[in-house]
Amino acid sequence: MTTTALPQKPSRKARLPADRTHSEDGVDLTLIRWMLSLTPAERLKVLQQNVRSILRLRGENTDS
Amino acid sequence: MKTPTPDFLALLRTLLEHKVDFIVVGGVCGVLHGAPVSTFDLDIVHSREAGNLERLMKALEALGARYRTPGHKNVKPSRSHLSSPGHQLLMTTAGPLDLLGTIGKGRAYHDLLGETTELDLDEGWRVRLLDLAALIRIKAETAQEKDKAQLAVLRRTLEEQRKR
Repeated sequence: MTTTALPQKPSRKARLPADRTHSEDGVDLTLIRWMLSLTPAERLKVLQQNVRSILRLRGENTDS
Repeated sequence: MKTPTPDFLALLRTLLEHKVDFIVVGGVCGVLHGAPVSTFDLDIVHSREAGNLERLMKALEALGARYRTPGHKNVKPSRSHLSSPGHQLLMTTAGPLDLLGTIGKGRAYHDLLGETTELDLDEGWRVRLLDLAALIRIKAETAQEKDKAQLAVLRRTLEEQRKR
């Protein structure tokens, strides 16, 4: 008796290469990798700059 | 009236200078772990031991802390407020600061200590923060709609960290 092998579903690893830019749920992995390349102090500075930029864009009357 | 721009480093330094025992949780904790998320306030869980409350009161005095909740604006936090398991939402000269007596399912400072890491922040300042896996677990327990997008980013950050 002969059997026919069913087509194999690609493995999760094959479908999700290490250099993919986004996760299945849409998270930008390039940003995560960039943040992980920074020191904790540098990460905090990034957050600080983001907050200042957002407040400026909102036109909020801040002290900076 | 001008709104103080959040200055996370200034908030952390003031707490550290006053030798306050606390754990950074929330968005700033996620950022320090490498998650590209944003937040406008610093969330901490503080030790509610008597000596620590004294030091925390001094740090809050230095930061000009007042409640930012409607009906309580310009009210200074008291020692009895800080000793409660509730959340004290404050505005300071360095931006919003949330003091959390407990988080998740009633976890206090000493319950969380075993799941924390100390990080070198800047010029020898060491800050204690909740482990990323614990942050994700506790956030997931109480996740509100606004937390769901951030949870996905935190989970992917943990995965990327583990590959390194």
